[in-house]
Amino acid sequence: MMSRARVTESELSGAVGSRQWSAGRIARIATMLLVAAAFIFPIVGFVAVAFRSNEGVANGTDGFLGLGGLSIDNVMASWGQIMGFGGADNRGIFLQWIGNSLFVSIGGALLAVIAAIPAGYALARLRFRFRRTVLVITLLTMVMPNTVLVIPLFLEVNAVGAVGQLWPVLVIMGFFPFGVYLSYIHFMTTMPAELVEAARIDGLGEVSIFFRVATPISRQAIALVAFFAFVANWTNFFLPLALLTSNFNAKTVSIGIQDLIGSSPLFNPTVAAGLDVKLYMPQLALATFVTMIPLLVVFIGAQRFLMRGQTVGAVKG
Amino acid sequence: MTTGLATRPGGAPRTAQRRRTVSARRGALHRKEARGAWTLLAPYLVLLMIAGIIPIIYAIVVSLQKTPTNLEPNLTGFSGGQAFVTAFTDYRFLGTFANVFSVLIIWLPLMLVGIVGLALLVHASPGRFGNTMRFIYYIPGSLAGVANLMLWVYLLNPSQSPIGGLWHALGFETIKAVVATPGTLPPILTAMLFFQGVGTWILIVNGGLNGIPDEIFEAASIDGANAWYLAWHVKLPLIRPWIGYAALMNLAYGFQLFLEPYLLDQVAGGALPDQYTPTQLGFWFAFSNSNFPAAAAMSLVVLVITLGIGLFIVFRSGLFGEEEK
Repeated sequence: MMSRARVTESELSGAVGSRQWSAGRIARIATMLLVAAAFIFPIVGFVAVAFRSNEGVANGTDGFLGLGGLSIDNVMASWGQIMGFGGADNRGIFLQWIGNSLFVSIGGALLAVIAAIPAGYALARLRFRFRRTVLVITLLTMVMPNTVLVIPLFLEVNAVGAVGQLWPVLVIMGFFPFGVYLSYIHFMTTMPAELVEAARIDGLGEVSIFFRVATPISRQAIALVAFFAFVANWTNFFLPLALLTSNFNAKTVSIGIQDLIGSSPLFNPTVAAGLDVKLYMPQLALATFVTMIPLLVVFIGAQRFLMRGQTVGAVKG
Repeated sequence: MTTGLATRPGGAPRTAQRRRTVSARRGALHRKEARGAWTLLAPYLVLLMIAGIIPIIYAIVVSLQKTPTNLEPNLTGFSGGQAFVTAFTDYRFLGTFANVFSVLIIWLPLMLVGIVGLALLVHASPGRFGNTMRFIYYIPGSLAGVANLMLWVYLLNPSQSPIGGLWHALGFETIKAVVATPGTLPPILTAMLFFQGVGTWILIVNGGLNGIPDEIFEAASIDGANAWYLAWHVKLPLIRPWIGYAALMNLAYGFQLFLEPYLLDQVAGGALPDQYTPTQLGFWFAFSNSNFPAAAAMSLVVLVITLGIGLFIVFRSGLFGEEEK
């Protein structure tokens, strides 16, 4: 038995991770490093643009990936231009847009958690008629790209006269079927049906069982739903574009960046000529980089939940 | 409660009575359970109504209405599907789908080869190296949407790009020339979507691979399988459901393309076709043409296509509904 196990182990390592530098192993590692470089270099170069000067970027100096031209002074100068965007009446509108994005993204994620955790629990652990129907509708809405509903949503919000306001965007973002699915899988895999049965015998009502038994063991699901909902909301472009474009002050930062692009002399010389701020590539890259910071923060915050979760690997919508 | 007495043998009427009581109690318990379930589902169902069901029904209603004109701005009433005729006979309608196909035909195969190839490579590299690579492949996926677009504006601009040499060699001197030269858009969109999307899918397929019991690989190794054989003949067939899932999800994604062609057009100073994809055409009906019925009709067309793909995923991919059986 012992020798058999040892043979298995050595043969397995021979197939998967041998110590020898066989041709296959070198090819595998070289391919993976090459792909990694192709993914990393553009991002490093792009982030570097945010720390460079207009002249350095335009003339293509600053050395390899522009890393020779980084300075905080450049960032301060570029930030001044971004803050100047919006004209005399709306100086600092960029910060307002970031605030709007935070409002709808955090609010939408909270709403998604509040709705998804109990719904996932009910679908996983309670028996009722139409349970399968609700589950199938949830799966369907999860696998369909959410942009396909944006124009119908615009027509609906327009019909109630709420276009250009933030709260409909927040409410719509609260509808997050992927979160329901995550929660459903979570309770399916971590909460035995016997636990619910035992709580019933103890005389707890169905809703109290959820709050007193299920909620305390759902931290993992709450973190994952909040994380995925926040990221989806923060990067959502089409929904705010359809619902908020008409109100300059209510824009989220994802569609606000579009305004910055449209005001850049790089792409639109005629419009840009009339503006007192000059948005070249360093300013646009800096604005983009700033919008990536909240994503980095939540990613780092959620990392231990992401790494632990088998549910992420399962399926993501 | 009389149930205690009913356990006495020989009391046939009492047993029947007990059965009735028990089933009545069970019924009451079921009702209680169902009531609890609907209470817990209520917030989600309200949101599903507001953000899912009602807009679809309303879009169907709007698409069947008459289109107000400048002469009759308050025109309403049943049009009998005139809006669908408007959408279908629009001179750009077929073109938008042809454009989507021209992107999908390059992007989808590349995407699947990339996802499966990289996921298998990561899975063949246990330990820190594999984990680091998987993390690096995921990083571009966090640059979703506008951030990914800005990154590509940097990469596509011949005078600033680290791959500027490529653009110069192809004879492009400006970003406008790069994106607006006929035929360049499908490969460019392919590159953008691949860069943004591949990492997440590597995670998902890798999760599928990790779910396969180690004994299967061990058994194959004992039979003398090398790493290549293991990947091609053992792992690949086992992750087929995930590959199918990735293919269908990305196919559905292709039909709703909007952000990339929409903003690239802006970057190219309006030199691209303004309505390159079906969703852009729907957007144009709603916001440039103020033809809400046609916009609703257009969005329903895309909705039906993605719904069809979605039904296929849910009922045929084999990834969902296992716990239902």
